[in-house]
Amino acid sequence: MTVVAPPRGTRTERKPSPVRGRAPVALWAMALVAVVPAFAPIAYLVWSVVRAGVTDTGGISAGRLLELFLSTAVLVAAVTITTAVLGTATAWLTTRTDLGGRGLWSTLVTLPLVIPSYVGALAMLGTSGNSGLMTEALRAVGLPGLPVFAGFWAAWGALSLWNFSFVHLLAVPAIRRMDPALEEAARGLGSSRWRTMFTIVLPQLRPALLSGSLLVSLYVLSDFGAVSLLRYETFTRAIYAQFRGRLDVTPALFLSGVLVIVALVLVWAEQRSRGRANLSAAHPTRPPSPVHLRGIPRLTAYGFLSTIVIGALILPLVTLVWWAARGMSLGNTVGSVIPELIRSVSVSGMAAVVTVLAAIPLAILTVRHAGRATRALESITWSAYSLPHLAVGLGFLVLALRFVPALYQTVLLLIIAYVAMFLPQALTSAQIGLRQIGPSIEEASRGLGSGALATLRRITLPLLWPSLLAGGALVFLTVMKELPATLLLRPTGFETLAVRIWSASSELFYTQASVAALVLVAVSAVPLYVLVARDLHD
Amino acid sequence: MKRIVAILAAIVMLAACSGDDADETTTTGAPSDPTTTAPAETTTTEAEAPDTTEASAEALVLYSGRNESFVEPVIEAFTAETGIEVDARFAGTGELATTILTEGDDTPADVFWAQDPAFIGGIAKEGLLTELPSDITDLVDERFQDANGHWVGITARGRVFVYNTDLVAEDEVPATVWELTEPQWNGRFGVAPTNGSFVAFVTGMLLAEGEDATREWLEGIAANNPVIFEGNGPIVDAVVAGDLDGGLVNHYYLLQRIAELGEVPAANHFFGDGDPGSMVMATGAGILAASDQPDAAAELIRYLLAAESQEHFLSLFEYPLIEGAGTPEGQPALADLPVFDVSLTDTADTLEPALTLISESGLN
Amino acid sequence: MSNGYTLAIRARQVSRRFGDVVALDDFNLDIHSGNVITILGPSGSGKTTALRLMAGFDRPDQGSVEIGGVTVADDETFIPPERRRVGMVFQDYALFPHLNVARNVGYGVPKTARRRRVGETLELVGLTGKESRMPHELSGGEQQRVAIARALAPAPSVIMLDEPFSNLDAALRTRVSAEVAEILRTAGTTAVFVTHDQEEALSTSDFVAVMRAGRVVQAARPSDLYHEPVDEWVAGFLGDADFFNGHAVAGKVTTPVGDFPTDLDGSVRVMIRPESVLLSPSDNGGAVVRQRQFFGHDQLVTVVLRNGLQLRARLGPTPNFEAGDAVTVSVERATAFPAN
Repeated sequence: MTVVAPPRGTRTERKPSPVRGRAPVALWAMALVAVVPAFAPIAYLVWSVVRAGVTDTGGISAGRLLELFLSTAVLVAAVTITTAVLGTATAWLTTRTDLGGRGLWSTLVTLPLVIPSYVGALAMLGTSGNSGLMTEALRAVGLPGLPVFAGFWAAWGALSLWNFSFVHLLAVPAIRRMDPALEEAARGLGSSRWRTMFTIVLPQLRPALLSGSLLVSLYVLSDFGAVSLLRYETFTRAIYAQFRGRLDVTPALFLSGVLVIVALVLVWAEQRSRGRANLSAAHPTRPPSPVHLRGIPRLTAYGFLSTIVIGALILPLVTLVWWAARGMSLGNTVGSVIPELIRSVSVSGMAAVVTVLAAIPLAILTVRHAGRATRALESITWSAYSLPHLAVGLGFLVLALRFVPALYQTVLLLIIAYVAMFLPQALTSAQIGLRQIGPSIEEASRGLGSGALATLRRITLPLLWPSLLAGGALVFLTVMKELPATLLLRPTGFETLAVRIWSASSELFYTQASVAALVLVAVSAVPLYVLVARDLHD
Repeated sequence: MKRIVAILAAIVMLAACSGDDADETTTTGAPSDPTTTAPAETTTTEAEAPDTTEASAEALVLYSGRNESFVEPVIEAFTAETGIEVDARFAGTGELATTILTEGDDTPADVFWAQDPAFIGGIAKEGLLTELPSDITDLVDERFQDANGHWVGITARGRVFVYNTDLVAEDEVPATVWELTEPQWNGRFGVAPTNGSFVAFVTGMLLAEGEDATREWLEGIAANNPVIFEGNGPIVDAVVAGDLDGGLVNHYYLLQRIAELGEVPAANHFFGDGDPGSMVMATGAGILAASDQPDAAAELIRYLLAAESQEHFLSLFEYPLIEGAGTPEGQPALADLPVFDVSLTDTADTLEPALTLISESGLN
Repeated sequence: MSNGYTLAIRARQVSRRFGDVVALDDFNLDIHSGNVITILGPSGSGKTTALRLMAGFDRPDQGSVEIGGVTVADDETFIPPERRRVGMVFQDYALFPHLNVARNVGYGVPKTARRRRVGETLELVGLTGKESRMPHELSGGEQQRVAIARALAPAPSVIMLDEPFSNLDAALRTRVSAEVAEILRTAGTTAVFVTHDQEEALSTSDFVAVMRAGRVVQAARPSDLYHEPVDEWVAGFLGDADFFNGHAVAGKVTTPVGDFPTDLDGSVRVMIRPESVLLSPSDNGGAVVRQRQFFGHDQLVTVVLRNGLQLRARLGPTPNFEAGDAVTVSVERATAFPAN
C-alpha cells in the first residue's frame, strides 16, 4: 500500500507529534478488557508459586533445574542464531540478487510456516530410523540408512527449519526499505561487499532481525510438540511430564513460574536493544542495483535455497503423503478428520476476529498516546505471548475451576486463552499499520470536523484494514497449529486437527496422523497466502 | 481482496455454527449449555438445567486413560444398546488423575477409567470415588480390584521387556529388572516414566522392596542412559524397527504389532517370579463421587465388564477379567503369569513416594 | 470568510513545554481577518507548535487562544480541533489515500453543500476534471492543491499552512507560492503560513511574524521588517547583511562609507544590506574587489575598504568585476542597532 507522501529526503526537521495529552477513558477501558485475559494466568502462576512457598518445588532439585535451564538455553540460542542467519540469507538472496525466480523462491521459503513444528518433527521421525522413508530410499541405492532423528540435533534442526520463515518475512520488507545510497557511499569509500554487509546493512536490519529473533526464541521456549516427539528435554517438556506424571499440579506450576521469568527477561532484553525503531513508510526513490552472482556463488545460492526448500517443505510433505498412502493401502482406516477440520477452522476464525478487535484499541493507545503506562500495558500482552502455551493453559484451567467453573472446558475459555496468547501478533501488525498511516491524516480528518470516533470509522480503520487482515491471518494460522493449551482446555470431545494429530501419533496411528497433518497444512496455506501476498509482493 | 475475506469469514461463521451442531459432544460455550459443564449443576443440588442437545438424556462424561481406538468401539456399542450418550476425554492417566484432583467437586467427569491401579487408587484415597454396587464388584477377582470397593479392574496386563531378536541374543535378555542398571545395557533400552504402567510398577517395587532399593534402581536406570519415551507404543515401534534394543512395556503392544504387520524381529520377555518387572496390573474404573449420574455411570462400568466388551479387549490382546472370558492368543493364562505379589489396593499408598522418587531420580 | 470580527486569531501569553524543552514562551500574536500572514522562524523556534496550538491539535500549558472572538483554549476551556473550523494544510499534505480527489475535498463539508463546494474549490485551485483521480495518481503540485482545496471547502474562518512549499524545487517555489497566495486572497480566507524560508515569507504575506526561541520578536509588514528590523538577529535572519561597529553622535553615525541618520547615541552596530551598496570602477577608489560571485541575473561582489572593512554589494550582471579591481563604494542606506 503506498502512502501518499512527498519525495524522500526533502522532509524538514519537524518534531515527532507531541503527546496528545490523556487518551480517552473509553480507549483505556477497552484496552484493559483486552489485556486482562493476558494478565490473569501470569498473575495466577506467580501467585500460586508464591503461595506454595518458593521452597516447595515439588521434588525438583536445584541440579535438575539447572540441567533444564541449560538444555533449554542452548536450544534457544542455537535456533535463534540459526534462524537469524537462514532468514536473513534467504531474504537477501531473494530481494537483492539477480537469481532467477526470486519471487517464487521467496514464496517457497515462506511456505514452511504452514507446517507446525510437531508435524515437521513427525515427518522427521517418519523419514529417519530403520522404518523411515529416507532410510528405505537410501537402502534402495545401497547406502546405509539414517539413524533415528532425535535429541538435540534433531530438535535444533526441526525448530530452525520451521521457524526461520518468520525472520525471512520480517527481513524482506526491511531490506526493501533500505536506502541503497548508504551502501553505495560505503562502497565508494572502499568498503568491501562483506564489510558493507556487516557494518552498513545488518545494522539497518537490526530492528527487524531483533523482532524476528524474539519471536523465534519465544517460540522455542514454548515449544512442546516437537521437543516431545524428538525427545529433547526442555523446560516445557518437563512441565508436561510433571503434569502427566504427578498427582499434583504444584511441580508443573513451579516450573512454569520459572519459565515465566526466563521469558520475561528475554522480552525485556529485546525491548531494551530495539530502542527507537524507526518504521518509516517511504520506499527508497531508487531501487538498488541487484547483486550479480555468477559461477560458483550462483550455484551455491541455488543449492542453498533448494536445500532449505527440500528440507523444510518437500521432504516432510512427501514423507507424510507416503505414510498416508502406505497406511491406506494397508487397509488402515483414516478415521475422524473432517469434524476436527471444521472445529479447527471455526475456532481459529473466531479467535482471529476477537484478537483483531482487541488489538485495535491497544494499538491506538500504544502508538498515538505512547507513554510509560501504555508501554507497561504492551509488556503485559507480550508476557502472555512469551509464556509457554502449556503454562498459560494450565493457568487458565486452574483459574476457571477456582473462580468461574461455568467456563471450564468450554470453547469460550479456549478462545479467551487464544486471545491472551496471540494478542501481540495482531497488535504488532496493527501498530505497524498505524505508524504507516501517520498522525497527520487523522489530524486532517479532525481539522475537517470529524470527531475521534468518526475519524476512526472513516479514515483510520479503512486504512488499517490490510494490517488488521495480516494480523488476523497470522493469528488464524497460529491457532490452527496450537497444541498444548488446546489439549488442556478443550471441552471433552472437542478435538481440533492439532489435537487429532497429536493423539493419533501418540497412539501410533500414523495413517490418521499424516492425513490430519496434510489437511492442516493444506488449510493453513490460505491464511499464509493472505500474509505472504501482502508482505512479499509489495 | 476484501470480498474474498468477507466470503471466508462467512464460511468460518457458518462452520462454527454447523460444527457445533454436527458434533454430538457439542459445547457452544454459553453458560446455559449443560452438556459438558456439569460443575454448575453439581454444586447445586439436583437442579438439572434443560437440555439443549439432541440427546434425550444428559451425556455421561468418561475420563479415559485408555486409548481412543481401544475405547471408542465399546462406547459406541454401549450407546447403541442403552441410548446413553458418552463424552469421552482421552489423555494420559496421570494427567487425568491430576485433572480430577484439581477439578475437585466441580469435576464434570462421571467415570474414570485408568490405565493402572496406582493413579486411580490415589484418586480413591482422596475420597473422590463412590463405592461401586456389589453386583459389579462381584464380577471380578478380588485380586484385581480395590479392597474398599472404589474401583474395579476391567482388564489386566503384564509388564514385559520387549526386545529386538536380531539385536539381542537369547542369553543377553535381562533376567531381572536390576540387570537393566548394568553397563551392558547402557543406552540400549527405553522406558516411559510418565506412563501409568511404569508408575504403577514403581509403586509395586516400593511395596515389595522398600524405598532404598527402589531409589537405587531408579537412579541406576537414570544413570544408564535410557531412551525416554512418552508412551509404551513408541518404545515397541522403535524396537520393532531396530532403532532400539529393548524396553519396559506392557505385554499387548507387541502382539498388536504382530497382528498388524505379521512377523517381526521382536519378542516379549516375562521376568521371573518375585521380580517387580513381572507385575500384573489391572486397569481400573470407578465412579466419581461428584457425578450427578451415578446410576448411568454404573451402567457403563457394568457394560465394560459385559461379555461383548471383554471379548473385544481380548481381541486386542489384553487379559479380560470376568470369569471364563479366555486368554489372549498365544499367551500364558492369567493364572500362569509370573507372580509378583503385591496388593494393587496398597499401591495407592505408595503412589506419592513413587512419583517423587521418579522425579528425583531425574527420569522425569 | 470574515465573520465580522476583525481579529481572526488572537494568541495571548501562550506557553508550551515538552519535558525539558520549552517550545513556546510567552507567545503573543494578533491576526486580522482577511490577511495573509506568515510565521517565520528557524527550526526549533516553535512556529509549528504555535500552529498546532492554534488549530487545536495541542493544548497550551498557559495562555489563551481566541478564534473569531471565541476563546478556544485557556485554563478552563479547550475546544477540540473538529469544532474550531480552522482549515489545515499539512506539510506532507495528508491526503486520504483511500479516497479520491472529490471525496477528499468534500470530506469536511456537510452532505447538502458537498457537491457545490467541491466543484467551487476545485475550480478555485484549477483542478476541475480531476475529481475521480486517486491521490497517488497526482503530481506533487496537484496533491498540494487538493490539500488546499480540502481545507478551503468547509469555508473555514482561518486556514493554516505548515511549510507548504518546502517540498518543492527552488524553481517552482516562487511561482507556486505566488499562485497559492493569490488563490487564498481570492477566497478571502485569513491565511497563516508557517515557514523558515524568508524569501517566501516576504513575498507572499501581508504581515510577517518572526519567531525566535518560542516567542514573536517582531511582527510587521515585509518591507518594514526588512528595512527596520528590531535587532541584529532579525536583520540577519531576514536577509544578507554586513555588520560593523560604529559610533553615533548627535543624530548621525559616521562610517568609512558615509554618514547616516539614527536616533541612537553612543556605540552602535551598523548594518548595510548588499543591495544598498553601489560600486563603480575607478582608479583611485576607496576599495578593492576581493571576490565576485556571478548568478546570471545578478552578482555579489565582496570588496575590502582601505581600513580593512569588508562589504558585499549586490549588483546587476554588469560590469564584470574581477578580483583586484579598484572601485569606489557608495552606500544608499544603513541601519544602526544598539551595541550590546
